[in-house]
Amino acid sequence: MSNIAKFLALDKVATFFNIIKQNGGIRGSLFKLYRQDELKDGTLVGEDKFGNKYFENPRYFYGRNRWVEYSDKFHMNYDGSQVPAEWYGWLHYKTDLPPHLDPNRPKYKWMKDWNENLSGTTGQYTPYSTTRPKIEAWEPKSKSTV
Amino acid sequence: MLRQPLTRALALSSSSRIAPLGVRRYAEALAQPEKVEVFIDDKPVYVPPGTTVLQAAAMVGVEIPRFCYHERLAVAGNCRMCLVEVEKSPKPVAACAMPVMKGMRVKTTSDLTKKAREGVMEFLLVNHPLDCPICDQGGECDLQDQSMAFGSDKSRFTDIHFSGKRAVEDKDVGPLIKTIMTRCIHCTRCIRFASEVAGVDDFGTTGRGTDMQVGTYVEKMFLSELSGNIIDLCPVGALTSKPYSFAARPWETRRIDSVDVLDPLGSNIVVATRTNEVLRILPRTNEEINEEWLSDKSRFACDGLKRQRLVTPMVADSRGNLTPVEWEDAIVAAAHAIRDCPPNKLVAIAGELADAESLVALKDLVNRLGGENVCTEQYFPMGGSGTDLRSSYLLNTKIANVEDADFVLLIGTNVRFEAPLLNARIRKAFIHKETDVAYIGPKVDLTYEYTHVGDSASIVKELATGSSNHEVLKRLQSAKRPVVILGADQLKTSEGSALLAFTQELALRLQDKLEDKEWKVLNVLQRTASQVAALDVGYKPGVGAILQDGPKVVYLLGADAGVVTRESLPKDCVVIYQGHHGDVGASIADVVLPGAAYTEKRGTYVNAEGRAQQTLPAVTPPGKAREDWKILRALSEVLGARLPYDTLDEVRHRMAEISPSLVAYGDVQNNNYFAQARVLAQSLQKPVSGKLDVQLKQLEDFFMTDAISRASPTMAKCVQAVLKQKQSPY
Repeated sequence: MSNIAKFLALDKVATFFNIIKQNGGIRGSLFKLYRQDELKDGTLVGEDKFGNKYFENPRYFYGRNRWVEYSDKFHMNYDGSQVPAEWYGWLHYKTDLPPHLDPNRPKYKWMKDWNENLSGTTGQYTPYSTTRPKIEAWEPKSKSTV
Repeated sequence: MLRQPLTRALALSSSSRIAPLGVRRYAEALAQPEKVEVFIDDKPVYVPPGTTVLQAAAMVGVEIPRFCYHERLAVAGNCRMCLVEVEKSPKPVAACAMPVMKGMRVKTTSDLTKKAREGVMEFLLVNHPLDCPICDQGGECDLQDQSMAFGSDKSRFTDIHFSGKRAVEDKDVGPLIKTIMTRCIHCTRCIRFASEVAGVDDFGTTGRGTDMQVGTYVEKMFLSELSGNIIDLCPVGALTSKPYSFAARPWETRRIDSVDVLDPLGSNIVVATRTNEVLRILPRTNEEINEEWLSDKSRFACDGLKRQRLVTPMVADSRGNLTPVEWEDAIVAAAHAIRDCPPNKLVAIAGELADAESLVALKDLVNRLGGENVCTEQYFPMGGSGTDLRSSYLLNTKIANVEDADFVLLIGTNVRFEAPLLNARIRKAFIHKETDVAYIGPKVDLTYEYTHVGDSASIVKELATGSSNHEVLKRLQSAKRPVVILGADQLKTSEGSALLAFTQELALRLQDKLEDKEWKVLNVLQRTASQVAALDVGYKPGVGAILQDGPKVVYLLGADAGVVTRESLPKDCVVIYQGHHGDVGASIADVVLPGAAYTEKRGTYVNAEGRAQQTLPAVTPPGKAREDWKILRALSEVLGARLPYDTLDEVRHRMAEISPSLVAYGDVQNNNYFAQARVLAQSLQKPVSGKLDVQLKQLEDFFMTDAISRASPTMAKCVQAVLKQKQSPY
């Protein structure tokens, strides 16, 4: 039976419908396809404090079987630097234990919160020159402090 | 009264031994004595008796090395570098102090001469430190050059006992001149300059032999407006420029010939730049203006070109704060304001550093829009012939001719600070030509003695009408070449037109009686570099009446003198400022258009005698700043009143249409129509009662007078140093 189904590629159809279902129906799937350019099914391994969801599905080949769905609050402005350091290792196969299941992860109070790359935004780091400028420009006095 | 230093009055009284006067057009036609023949290296040359061997050698192109001799200073003859062999003379003689004698045979390349030079050089170098690698004079040092050319090829100096060379403590003579007195070779050029040209008898020597020191004896600042010149005069690195210390070597710099704009004389300068930065300003010899001197403000205010600059266009935002914008937005904002304004409510005011190109462009633009209100900050009375006749507002005698005058009357002008190099000329005439000076105005120090006639304006009236019984009137009437100089500052009061009328009357009355029909008596000394060009172009002098009408748009072309204030303008008035420094003008502006300073553009400036000269670009304007006439040309395009010139040559063609003298570079044209101006002014001769006052009284007032020098840290230090020196008991 299953062979016939496989022969007719019905399992693929089943997977297709499963993917549509898991991604929130036709509307939800179209939105995810628009946002992420792919639709996948997988098990939710965990979620970090920014709301990014981490999935795994061993059916896909190695290298594509772990992925992240960025939090909705990033909208279309997601990028790799929004994955915090603790999930980085799992996502890149450095470890198979996700952070909440790994008891050996060090935690100190001086550890800083993860910060995404702010290049191109107003919060970006800009290097400044330490040499004196050849021309000192005039700074107009501000007329109102309001 | 002894006008010259004692040594000269006693020993060197021969008239040709004093510093030769630059232009001798009006020199007395003395019966020329017969010339004597001398032989320099067997080349015959005919020279007037009294000429020194060194001068005679220069006439046939033989340059004798020298340290202490300087052609504009008295002869000292103490460095001994100019020793030459003279046939039938047992010893070599100092060429700079030896008058020629008939049939004298001078050998400047003989073995004896060479040996004498090598000996002198050896003695000089024994006590001169070997710090050329860290010396600021390196590369432009006379001692370096002459030791290479005339020194010995080997040294006998061995300091085997490590006793050390002679060392002298450095002196502190103010924030402009750095002294490293160990390097001094005692040529005494600085002493002679200070006492002869600058008129400050502070420098001198103390001690003798190896203990001799040049200095001020007590620690004292060199209180002179010409102090920077002793840096150029010093043949070694003993006196160097403090602001320029350790900045650059002369072979690294690019030198661009230019013209100074910080005083009305338009001294010729060389701008030394490196990596797009003005490093220093040096004088350029022009016998008709500045000889080879330069005033301290012109020389040292160049660091003001790097501070408080306008580097980007700015427009006031909704809160009234100026915010940087692109050129397009600023030009559009300015055009918007001008387009919304009726032409008679548009006022353009030109400041003291504006070049003739931008003055012409601005006036053309306003005229094209239908307006007539273009004016300058400095006032000049418009009664009588007003500014129609050029002779009424120029230095008609010309700067160089002042030294041929035999009586100078100064009316309400402190020439020493308003035009330092003109004052140096008067002082030169006072010392070498027995010229006498009379002065009307508050008591000031002019560095020479003068007859103080008083400070009330009515004295001018009395002199003009001949009713005065002061001896000055008699002196003026008996003078063969009198000069009357009126300060333009006196004309801004309500009595200004009467004062000018009386001065014209006085000068013309004197001029009519002169034997020399070419001699001009009347002089008006303007205060700023742009005023003459602005009046030539047809600007109205003074802003008073125009501001009363409540303008809607005020266009300031570098107007920083503070005659326009926010309080004097209506609330809704838009102020557009175009200029290079953030100063008084920019701080009240709604739109700021950054222009170029005088070292950054090719601009025409007309000096107080009416001589057009041009500056050349030494560096590029900083940031987004542009040349001024180009800004006005761009603005005219947006306004829809396109100015018909796209290149500098076309602008200058337009200038030549207005006045050919604006593009006759280097020339000064003779002025006429004195009599007509006098007739027109006769109705203005109303009684005057006020007191004459000058703006610049003390040395500390001199240093910061315009946008560039106010931005200069060096000038600020000078003011502080002068004030501190005033506290000192010496």
